[in-house]
Amino acid sequence: MTTTMQRLHLTHPLHFVIGLTLWCTWFVAVYGGHAVACAVAPPAPEQGVFTLVNALLLVVSFVAIGILAALTVGCYRMAKHHQGRLRFNATVSAGLYLFSTLGVVFAAMPIIGIPPCL
Amino acid sequence: MTTINREVTPQGDLPENPERLHNDLHEIWGNPRGLKALTIVNHTTLGLRFMVTGMVFFLIGGLLAMLVRTQLALPDQDFMSPDIYNQVITMHGTVMMFLFAIPMLEGLAIYMIPKMIGARDLVCPRLTSLGYWCYLFGGIILTFSLVLEMAPDSGWFMYTPLSSSEYSPNLGSDFWLLGITFVEISALSAGVELVVSILRTRTQGMALHKMPLFAWYILAMALMIVVGFPPLILGSILLELERAVGMPFFEVAGGGDPILWQHLFWLFGHPEVYIIFLPAAGIVSTLIPVFAGRPIVGYGWVVFAIITTGFISFGLWVHHMFTVGIPQLAQAFFSAASMLVAVPTAIQVFVWLATLWLGKPKMKLPMLWIMGFLIIFVCGGLTGVMLALVPFNWQVHDTHFVVAHMHYVLVGGMFFPLIAGLYYWLPLFSGRMPSETLGKWGFWLTFLGFNGTFLIMHWTGLLGMPRRVYSYETGMGWDIFNLLSSMSSFVMSAGIAMVLLDFALHFRFGKPAKHNPWNADTLEWANSMPPSAYNFVSLPKIETRHPLWDDPDLPRAMAAGEHSLAVATHGRREMWGTDPLTGKVREIIHLPGNSWWPLFAAMALAVVCISLLTRLYPLAGIAVVIAALFLLRWSWENGAHPKAAPDAHVAPGDPSLHSRTMDGPGLWAMSITMLANGSFFLSYLFGWFYLWTVSPEWRMPETSPLSLVGLVVAAVALTVGGGILEKLVRGLRQQRDAGLAIGMFSISALGFVQVGVTLWVLLSANLAVTETSHDAIIMVGLAYALLHGGLGAVLTLLQGLRVGYGYVGAHAPFEPAVVAQLWRYNVVTFWIIVGALAVLPRVIGS
Amino acid sequence: MRLSIQRLTQQRVNLPGVPLALLAGLLLTGCAGDKSILDPAGQAARDVVMIWWVMLGFGTVVFVTVVALWLYAFKRKEVTRTPVQERRIARRWIIGGGIILPVASITALLAFGVPAGQRLLPLPLGEPPEVIEVIGHQWWWEVRYPDAEGGEVVTSNQLIMPAGEPVDFHVTGADVIHAFWVPRLGGKIDMIPGRVNKIRLEADEPAVFGAQCAEFCGAQHTQMQLYVEAVERDEYDAWLAARQTDELTSLAENDQQHEPAREAFMTHCASCHRVAGLSTAGEGPDLSDLGSRTSLGAGIMAMEEGAVTHWLKHHQRLKPGNKMPPHDDIETATLESLGAWLETLTP
Repeated sequence: MTTTMQRLHLTHPLHFVIGLTLWCTWFVAVYGGHAVACAVAPPAPEQGVFTLVNALLLVVSFVAIGILAALTVGCYRMAKHHQGRLRFNATVSAGLYLFSTLGVVFAAMPIIGIPPCL
Repeated sequence: MTTINREVTPQGDLPENPERLHNDLHEIWGNPRGLKALTIVNHTTLGLRFMVTGMVFFLIGGLLAMLVRTQLALPDQDFMSPDIYNQVITMHGTVMMFLFAIPMLEGLAIYMIPKMIGARDLVCPRLTSLGYWCYLFGGIILTFSLVLEMAPDSGWFMYTPLSSSEYSPNLGSDFWLLGITFVEISALSAGVELVVSILRTRTQGMALHKMPLFAWYILAMALMIVVGFPPLILGSILLELERAVGMPFFEVAGGGDPILWQHLFWLFGHPEVYIIFLPAAGIVSTLIPVFAGRPIVGYGWVVFAIITTGFISFGLWVHHMFTVGIPQLAQAFFSAASMLVAVPTAIQVFVWLATLWLGKPKMKLPMLWIMGFLIIFVCGGLTGVMLALVPFNWQVHDTHFVVAHMHYVLVGGMFFPLIAGLYYWLPLFSGRMPSETLGKWGFWLTFLGFNGTFLIMHWTGLLGMPRRVYSYETGMGWDIFNLLSSMSSFVMSAGIAMVLLDFALHFRFGKPAKHNPWNADTLEWANSMPPSAYNFVSLPKIETRHPLWDDPDLPRAMAAGEHSLAVATHGRREMWGTDPLTGKVREIIHLPGNSWWPLFAAMALAVVCISLLTRLYPLAGIAVVIAALFLLRWSWENGAHPKAAPDAHVAPGDPSLHSRTMDGPGLWAMSITMLANGSFFLSYLFGWFYLWTVSPEWRMPETSPLSLVGLVVAAVALTVGGGILEKLVRGLRQQRDAGLAIGMFSISALGFVQVGVTLWVLLSANLAVTETSHDAIIMVGLAYALLHGGLGAVLTLLQGLRVGYGYVGAHAPFEPAVVAQLWRYNVVTFWIIVGALAVLPRVIGS
Repeated sequence: MRLSIQRLTQQRVNLPGVPLALLAGLLLTGCAGDKSILDPAGQAARDVVMIWWVMLGFGTVVFVTVVALWLYAFKRKEVTRTPVQERRIARRWIIGGGIILPVASITALLAFGVPAGQRLLPLPLGEPPEVIEVIGHQWWWEVRYPDAEGGEVVTSNQLIMPAGEPVDFHVTGADVIHAFWVPRLGGKIDMIPGRVNKIRLEADEPAVFGAQCAEFCGAQHTQMQLYVEAVERDEYDAWLAARQTDELTSLAENDQQHEPAREAFMTHCASCHRVAGLSTAGEGPDLSDLGSRTSLGAGIMAMEEGAVTHWLKHHQRLKPGNKMPPHDDIETATLESLGAWLETLTP
């Protein structure tokens, strides 16, 4: 784990954009996957929220949350080891990863409560 | 700080006589007069031109708004016919969005960014000029439609099928589609060069985390333009093809879908709102610390908020489409994402508050406008969160409530900070101070007029008044509110007139300003007032975020030539190229001088636009070729061409010229352009898959009409060409240029093979492009591949020739690396096209 | 000058112009109105208004607080602080106001808002609700009752619905995109060519509502009004029964005095307009029960004696750009006889 995190160069400002890019990718995957699922195999409305579509969307969201949370922690730890420019980069990245993580949590909440294709 | 930096000034020389240095620099950078003024590429002049032109369009858009409010002042008015009214509302939105807001802010950024980051110009000066001319010509073409009473009348959002040839048979929609696409060339070119300038030309030592916040905001805005505009360009091209040729992309009977237009439009349209808001917020973040007399608290928080806003704004577009019948779960995703954007906005509001709280704020005229911004924008932000809630949105969508919200966000979020910024920077533009009295009158009239107009309009909307109606009947309870709105709108225009009067008068009658009149911290105030064409006599090394606060003597020392690059004997325009992260000097960037080519290219493009409008397609074809020739001629004067850098020598100890390295800014410009291009390509793929899965009457043939063998042969030719190019570039990196010309010519030949084979595949497919959207969209994809393949082949051909002329080689190895990027892009996208259009349909079937 | 005789939707007139005190005006007379969102007549609309008032209250508190804090920042006395204190104060503001406040607000909003949206969804019900199809045309409304006993009923520019029970509206557009919206009953939904969108609305009790196309649809978007009336169930059934095609056929044939008008209709109008028993559906509105409607031209003018003739003569002036060709080539006497006959078409 530690070595992977080191290889990611968490003090590089590229991490300013990776977290939210992942958020966008997750968002597009969920929105697009949902649209395709509803176009190809819409579950019966009687099933409510307990459908395969909701389950799959949740799984994808949990994966995204896991990755983003790990990167948040990684950047946060890295920030403590540096000063100046590198600390700034890692701190801002940590914040952005945290926001992306919570962004997925927040935008994924409706999956628990709304039937998919109505 | 004030000592001479021995490393980079000419050895042993003391600073030259500052007076003479000024004259020498002026000789190289100064603007010509008379007809030759059309060749100017300088960012200061072009920034001002952008802003003045933007103000003219603002007046036109404002006049249209007054016409609307006059019509709606009383019920059952017949001041304008329905037809004219619809043209007026469409043009009001279009002019304000495309011809005022974006170009105005871009103009401000073009003017301000080099001065703030300690550079002498933007990194692609001729591109600035091309952008300006495209904007001017496109704007004139578009507004001319009003004079002809042929203006677009389907709303500024141009929803199909209303804007299609069946329901809008006159030229209005064509004016919009062609004119706007033309203007967007300008937005995109400014976007690309602002990104590269901010990343690569900051003065020595200005690391990313020491950059002025305004530059962060503009960086985000520019990147958003680069990614956000291409979907609309694609949409416009598709709709124009549908109107002109009959390709049914949005027509249900032909297998298209009108909702595709809405997706493409709002994929652009929502980021657009933040493209307008971010630079304005950048003005706020610049002004508040100055007037609070302390650094902004939470620089990192603001950077965080900027980046978050930029990204989240791309995940919101469907909230403009909540009523089109998308499943509620999908709506909930967008509802949640739309609310998320409240977080970065709130962070900025509270950063500003904390800065004022911990500082000693002074209520000068610019701050008055910032207060106006705050009040209006917070209000608009709150209604924005309300609108993100789906059930509420279903009720007030397309009512005057939304009109009110949108003006609170756009006028509050863009216009008020803009005026604050203009008042703040006026002394820099002119060397004179504005009048406090006239300015205060202007503010209060505008502020009260604005709220009188639009606060009431929320209520009108809640009483059920829909948008875009040319009249309404009495007895709905709307009369009094509409009358009040209309009266207030005239108060507001009186206020704006007063502000513009103040601006105009101050150039003549304003008190001369003292240097750095607001005691600001950023480098633009180290310019002379008004600034010279080259900005700075010498370029400083920056240690902090607040160079002018930490070293008040810096402007004098810079003007005395005590810092770097204070030489003009070589006769070239030059500045630092620095590392994007650390701000360490990497190379000297030499910039091209004034040029006719941008103007000529823009004129040729204007001919293309007009001949497409008038359906003179042969003329359009000729003009396209001419425009391409102008642009290629322009690119000829690059690198080691004697016009680009008459003298390639640098002072001992200085890094070499960028064209003599492998990592000049052109490489970055190409990457950013490919980012825009990639966004266009992804939008295209989205369109293909969208129609395939969602379109109600999509028809796909049993077997793909495209020859897979042919496409694979073309792709292999392209890939081999790309491979050879990579090898040549690797050689150049090691100073080897043997066989460079031959290599380039053979790559070019492979490129033409790809074009030829692809063309054969396209022709032998016998596509019925006017019958089904399937065939039409395949046609567009292959045309895209042909265009790119052709461009790659021509550019490598020219590279081969340039090797012969001695402009490219081991001594000037830069350009092949730039061309290699295009080839890499072409190889990847072509394989994706083969996969998406020819392989997937065979695998999945229709 | 528009030649409106008397405008349609004035049943719920409220007083215009009570500008004495704007606030009082807003609260006392302001909320009512034919199309007022703030005067709900169904549960879905009522939920939204409730949410609106809560959001308005909360938003006002936030707004006033933020602005007051900003203004106070200009007035307060200077305090000298150490950088550590400054950082702590700044962080409190940013985390409290910039993160906790918006996150709490939007979470609460989403928690209330999502259930409110469910009501408009066509979720499965024990007893399937009444279905009414509404089709938007430039610039009029086609309304169909596919479930009517004894065969489908078709009418135009009026929507009669049963009160006190959920009704599913299946909507689509015939040419461009329109939007179906009865503000006092609930949210709007777009009418898109090639798609059928569904929305469920319920009126509490019998009443008349205003409705208007909500998506910009061209020259006469403004004059695309719809008369909506909710009636008791038995009245609704009777209304449908009276419009069964058989009934109307006899109507079209009775009465010899209108024979010339019927002939003129067949010559000039029948290629576009349906009158049950005489002609089949075309591009224009169905006229079979025209005489029983409250308005003409999708809400342009009230139906009263002579109105149809007036409309036939001046429709391009009353509603410029509408798709019916001008009738300059038809003699006035013919138009008058046509008008007189069309007004008799009541079930």
